[in-house]
Amino acid sequence: MIGPLLLFALVALGLGALAGRRSPAVWVALTLAAGVALGAAGVAVGFGLQPDWDWRSGFPVGGQALHLRLDALSALFLILLAGVGLAGTAYSHTYLTLNDGIDPSAPARGRLWWNGLIFHLAVVLINSNGLHFLIGWELFTVCAYFLITLDRRRLAVRQAGWLYLAASHAGTIALFAFFTLLASATGSWDLGPLRERTDLAPLFWLALFGFGLKAGLFPLHVWLPSAHANAPSHVSALLSGVTLKLGIYGLLRFSGWLPVPASAGWVILGLGAVGALAGIVFALVQTDLKRLLAYCSVENIGVILIGLGGALVAAGEPAADWGRLALAGALLHVWTHGFAKALLFLGAGTVVHAAGTRDLGRMGGLWRALPFTAVAFLVGSASMSGLPPLAGLVGEWLVYLGLFDAVASHGPAGWAAGPAVIALALAGAVALATFTKANALVFLGAPRSSPSHALHEPDRWRSAPTFGLAGAVLLLGLAPAFVAPILARASEAWRPFDTGTAAVRVPLISLGRFQLILALVLVGVAFALWRRVHHLGVTRGPTWDCGYAQPSRRMQYTAGAMGGTVGGWFTWFLRPERSQRRPRGPLPDRAFILDRPRETVLEGVVTPVARQVLRVSTAVRRLQHGRLQSYILYIVIGLAALGLIVLVQGGRP
Amino acid sequence: MSLLWDLPLRLAFWLLLAPLVPGLINRIKAWVAGRRGPPLLQLYYDLARLWRKQVVMSSLASPGFILGPAVAWVAVVVAALLLPLGPAGTVLGFSGDALALVYLLALARFATAWAAMETGSAFEGMGVVREVSFAVLAEGSILSALLALGVQSHSLALNQMLAPTVGTGSALLAAGLFTVLLAENCRVPFDDPNTHLELTMIHEVMVLDHSGPPLAAILHGASVKLLLFSVLLVQAVLPVANLPAPAAAALLAGGVLGVVVGIGLVESLIARLAFRKVPLLLTTAFLLCLFALLVAWKGGAG
Repeated sequence: MIGPLLLFALVALGLGALAGRRSPAVWVALTLAAGVALGAAGVAVGFGLQPDWDWRSGFPVGGQALHLRLDALSALFLILLAGVGLAGTAYSHTYLTLNDGIDPSAPARGRLWWNGLIFHLAVVLINSNGLHFLIGWELFTVCAYFLITLDRRRLAVRQAGWLYLAASHAGTIALFAFFTLLASATGSWDLGPLRERTDLAPLFWLALFGFGLKAGLFPLHVWLPSAHANAPSHVSALLSGVTLKLGIYGLLRFSGWLPVPASAGWVILGLGAVGALAGIVFALVQTDLKRLLAYCSVENIGVILIGLGGALVAAGEPAADWGRLALAGALLHVWTHGFAKALLFLGAGTVVHAAGTRDLGRMGGLWRALPFTAVAFLVGSASMSGLPPLAGLVGEWLVYLGLFDAVASHGPAGWAAGPAVIALALAGAVALATFTKANALVFLGAPRSSPSHALHEPDRWRSAPTFGLAGAVLLLGLAPAFVAPILARASEAWRPFDTGTAAVRVPLISLGRFQLILALVLVGVAFALWRRVHHLGVTRGPTWDCGYAQPSRRMQYTAGAMGGTVGGWFTWFLRPERSQRRPRGPLPDRAFILDRPRETVLEGVVTPVARQVLRVSTAVRRLQHGRLQSYILYIVIGLAALGLIVLVQGGRP
Repeated sequence: MSLLWDLPLRLAFWLLLAPLVPGLINRIKAWVAGRRGPPLLQLYYDLARLWRKQVVMSSLASPGFILGPAVAWVAVVVAALLLPLGPAGTVLGFSGDALALVYLLALARFATAWAAMETGSAFEGMGVVREVSFAVLAEGSILSALLALGVQSHSLALNQMLAPTVGTGSALLAAGLFTVLLAENCRVPFDDPNTHLELTMIHEVMVLDHSGPPLAAILHGASVKLLLFSVLLVQAVLPVANLPAPAAAALLAGGVLGVVVGIGLVESLIARLAFRKVPLLLTTAFLLCLFALLVAWKGGAG
């Protein structure tokens, strides 16, 4: 049952890619069908309706027999891919043909690479052969590159794509080393549980670098903000919602199948905690809507890593119950963040199209033109800030529960779990500030610049997926207990633990009940107050604002000001570029202050190092100039040196 | 069956008693200053009046301007219902409800901030930024305090967490939580609940444009939040739950009264802090809670 479903999905994706150039309608039908099939396969295995699927081909592909397998852990990510893929496909159907000054060949190319990306993501998720895994990994990276650079006429887009490609390949090199060393140590490319081979543990660091880079792990995230901000929005949704999670998938898979160093859990926990806090602080100070969302992904990857790190630390302890909670939280957060972030990026696509800019400082008051998008965006934002009764809280809450248990049990793990809890709390509060800023600047208040031509709600192809994802976020928040089976089965597939379903289901039921009650009361009271207000009557007038006579839209708080206070506490680390002119004299004429958030890690670390490397390479290149005489001189010097060595050593080897 | 009685009684306790707290504080402030002051029940009169008033709304505002206060009110009231009340325990309690409480307060903050930003006013933008920024430190402090209580009690359910053993940690916790209480409830030295026209205020400035029933919801919600923090503080520091019921009830009531008197005295005797120093004071509160956590951690291990 699973085999035919997956085969159908992959074939449909392939055919859709071929049809994309000529007939968009066929493309959208085939791709949606493929998404449904992928989702069905994932649900069947993930929720235990079908046994795990394992298949080997009798014929070799690239010298190796195919080995595909679908277990609950893969299924969890496959369902995410299917969900976000479906939403993105439907959204892009009309979004790609919006004429936003984009390259005319972009829609056709976009459909081709989109199918390629989903195809290879699915291949990676179900692959169990190191060689094919690596090939699939490389191909999805390339597909993503072409999707990011769809609008290739803009310089910023090309630069973002180039950075993405370069950074991804730095990660791929690490993965190449990882898989080849693994294959040479085990004598086979076949992947599977090998926990007894403790000599393989150091390989984990290579995997952490390679997969961590793809996941946007904090100091390795340098490629992420510009790539996700400059890609078309449905691509950003898939990249942020799913491809980042492939890095998490890799880390989960290989920390589960292979032995890990004793310190691995601690390192991941630490990186996660630092990344969560740093990522969200960077997000807060951004002035570009999509860049803000991209940095928020860095935070959420941090949250997921805190859960994973906690699970790894707990796996080395006798009482591992708290690790189970932390792992389940991380797994659930993969879903909740994936769906909510896809929702936010699709919403951002609509907003950017309507406002004609990504600059938060030039938006405002869009709720009037885009009321439904505003509601969907609000749902995504509230979920992302971890507010009840939505989904974002659930995953974080399980991680919190796990970490609290670790602290309360007084084990050595408490030294890691305690600070992680506090980092999570601070990150949560900054996330709330960030999304208050994003929503307020985009949707509320008065427009900060003249509105563009396209100020209307999008068509059904674009609004339906946005609402579908919002529904998923709401449903996951109100009825989290329904996902307990897949969380338990995925934890089991992860392996270091023996299973314990109840450990996860009980807290999910109690939280779900609480969220449901809260949602009902919220709706009831909001309705009652609404009725009361309209019963008494409403008078509209200009904003009172302490009796300010002439409030103008330029007096509103700006993107820089909204992030200024918390950003100010972190100047030592954000290092914003500031240009200002102070008011001078008794009658100052002109004054301004302008903060540009900087890519601290990229501009402060990666670029200088890269520049040094380039300088050394340039120096070395002087040796290679194409003059034959000098090359002959090199040979003569080389021969003379060899002869000297032979003479000195007396001919002995 | 007991739930049927318990929940309405609790709800009545929180909803009816809460507006008394600001009245009490105002009486204390008036007494210290030698003024006559507003009547004890002033907030009740205000609420009744506002509930009957028409709403004036900015022409920029969306329906969120009215729904925001409703959401914030519900969030605060549900958070209050999660809190155990001395001998009566909790009604909705579950493991992890401590975190739910923190996130409900976050929800209230988000809803208030949303409604404030509706107006496009620079004043309210300023208030929102301050509120959400200072909340970062406040939330860190509360989480550390909850961790300390969790370490002491080996639990994550408020019912068990709020049965502390009194010691050094309690003193640190009391100081830290009291400071957070002042900040979160916009009291002096962070904010001044009596001004409406100053550039240095935080919470009050966010509700400048509200009127009528939504403003009533905001004011009532604020009083519930103040009572919530007082009850939380008392139970986090004093061993209320370990006493027999009448003594516990008396201790809880006395404790809350003590906190209220404390707030009144602080407001009478201390001037508002220079604005740049606010984060410093909050960081101090954060550190106090962290030290309480360390004390709990080391004490439990020994």
